[in-house]
Amino acid sequence: MSTEENCMLSVENLKVSFHTDEGDVPVLRGLSYALPKGRILAVVGESGSGKTVHALSLLRLLPPAAHITGGKVVYQGKDITQLPEKELKHIRGGKISMIFQDPSASLNPVLTIGEQLTETILAHKKITKQQARQEAVLLLQKVGIREAEKRLAEYPFQFSGGMCQRVMIAMALALKPDVLIADEPTTALDVTIQAQILRLMRDLQKESGMSAVFITHNLAVVAGVADEVLVLYGGLCMEQAEVNDLFNNPLHPYTQGLLKSLVSVEEKKDTLPAIEGQPPVPGEIGKGCPFAPRCTQASEKCFEQCPPLSEKANRRVRCWRVEEK
Amino acid sequence: MNPIEIKNLSKTYIRQPFLGKKTEKEVLRDVSLTLKEGQVLGLVGESGCGKSTLCKVLLGIEPLSSGEVWINGKNSRCLSRAERKELCRRMQVVFQDPYSSLDPRMNVRQLLSEPLAIHGLYTDKQEREKFLKELLESVGLSVSFLPRYPHEFSGGQRQRICIARALALSPNILLADEPVSALDVSVQAQILNLLKKIKEERHLSVLFVTHDFAVARFLCDDIAVMYEGRIVEYKPAEELFSHPSHPYTQKLLRAVAKPNPALRDTWLAGAQEETL
Repeated sequence: MSTEENCMLSVENLKVSFHTDEGDVPVLRGLSYALPKGRILAVVGESGSGKTVHALSLLRLLPPAAHITGGKVVYQGKDITQLPEKELKHIRGGKISMIFQDPSASLNPVLTIGEQLTETILAHKKITKQQARQEAVLLLQKVGIREAEKRLAEYPFQFSGGMCQRVMIAMALALKPDVLIADEPTTALDVTIQAQILRLMRDLQKESGMSAVFITHNLAVVAGVADEVLVLYGGLCMEQAEVNDLFNNPLHPYTQGLLKSLVSVEEKKDTLPAIEGQPPVPGEIGKGCPFAPRCTQASEKCFEQCPPLSEKANRRVRCWRVEEK
Repeated sequence: MNPIEIKNLSKTYIRQPFLGKKTEKEVLRDVSLTLKEGQVLGLVGESGCGKSTLCKVLLGIEPLSSGEVWINGKNSRCLSRAERKELCRRMQVVFQDPYSSLDPRMNVRQLLSEPLAIHGLYTDKQEREKFLKELLESVGLSVSFLPRYPHEFSGGQRQRICIARALALSPNILLADEPVSALDVSVQAQILNLLKKIKEERHLSVLFVTHDFAVARFLCDDIAVMYEGRIVEYKPAEELFSHPSHPYTQKLLRAVAKPNPALRDTWLAGAQEETL
């Protein structure tokens, strides 16, 4: 979907498994995409789809039980999955930074906001503490926190959830990264705060021209911020398209079902056309299409053979039905 | 007789540290609400507005500070032990997180039989089995689930078990405290349909607590919007959506994300760039 030159980060056939007592359980089963410069890619999925595992593996932050079993994450010609820890340190936080779901849990409760912000800056830049502090003040102002100077001396518990998330954003942007990975950044926040944070993130992203990977389960949030959307299900990409194409003309039955089953604030529906069944549990997915057991249009072939991800007219979809058309 | 009648309810949390000054925090202020028979009353608000505290007061987990709560025609403050037990049978609750609201060491049979045993219902073993089977089927689960444990189920299935447990005592009031917000998107719709179905089949009156206006619109007949412990707007749902009058309701409605990329600019522009 993008030419080689303006691609910031590319993921090639990434596979991640978890060690369990019952053997290796594949969670991500071959994910590929290219993140163009200055664009926001939303990765949408339900629990168990592998969306968070994908985010963590981009910076090799996976828990000990998980390991990358194949594929590459290429940033500036280097494969992050193979990079020595020392080199990775410069990329982590400096070139590619990350925001997590629960802002109050991602800040250290016994350090002041100022200490945590300057720590990040000092870890990557050779400047004095004083200069780092001044930078921290500017950052807090940028994310819309008033009386920044004073608030640097405060602790995370004195900040609300939305403010903590602003601090996290400030920290993530401190070193002007090329890529921002945001894992459910607004899920723990109230709706009014959610809109503010998303607007802030989008404004800052446009201003700095960085690329972003936005991981979420909320399709309304996707519609609000993304340029491009990738739908994950059972560890595989089911569909990838420009945001308008995906919402106006979803091709995959799963995407169609998801969009249809949404409750709407604009109209009162009598019943919701829900997708029956449960999302698949990693390790219990058959050899066919992972969505086949819940799909209303599934044929025998869907259970026997997993469809390939085919590319057509600037969008990708994994479905036999679309394939045969 | 309305199933729930709340009159001028206030609740203050008082903290008295061992040393230092006593602090008071008013979390519910002069709340009056009526849950009408066979209806769904939506209680919408952001975190910290007091909506869960209201549930706790109704359930008798927290005492109220002033005002009156009438449940099924009885004042919640003057109940005998037997009356309280009967009230527990008539008013059941479904919580937000189906992962923490089921005992991991009990199988589904035990989970569903416990309320029956407490209230001495279906003491005949065969009858009980038959009842449990019907109960499971009414929430869309199969009888094969009975000997299995909560960890074997997904979030949506667990929430169905929680709903079955709440329905086991055939209550007439159901309190639902954010029952779908912890669930996967594709499962939310299933549970919302289920709640609607059982409400109609069993003629339940439901107090539905949520932060999501879209969910409230689907399910509720009346909606009360809560802000800092106060009800700021309270009217029939359709009227609220067509003519929201309180500025806070308007602000909340504007902030609701819509799954339509064409509306993104108006949506994000609506989020005032407030500095904190």
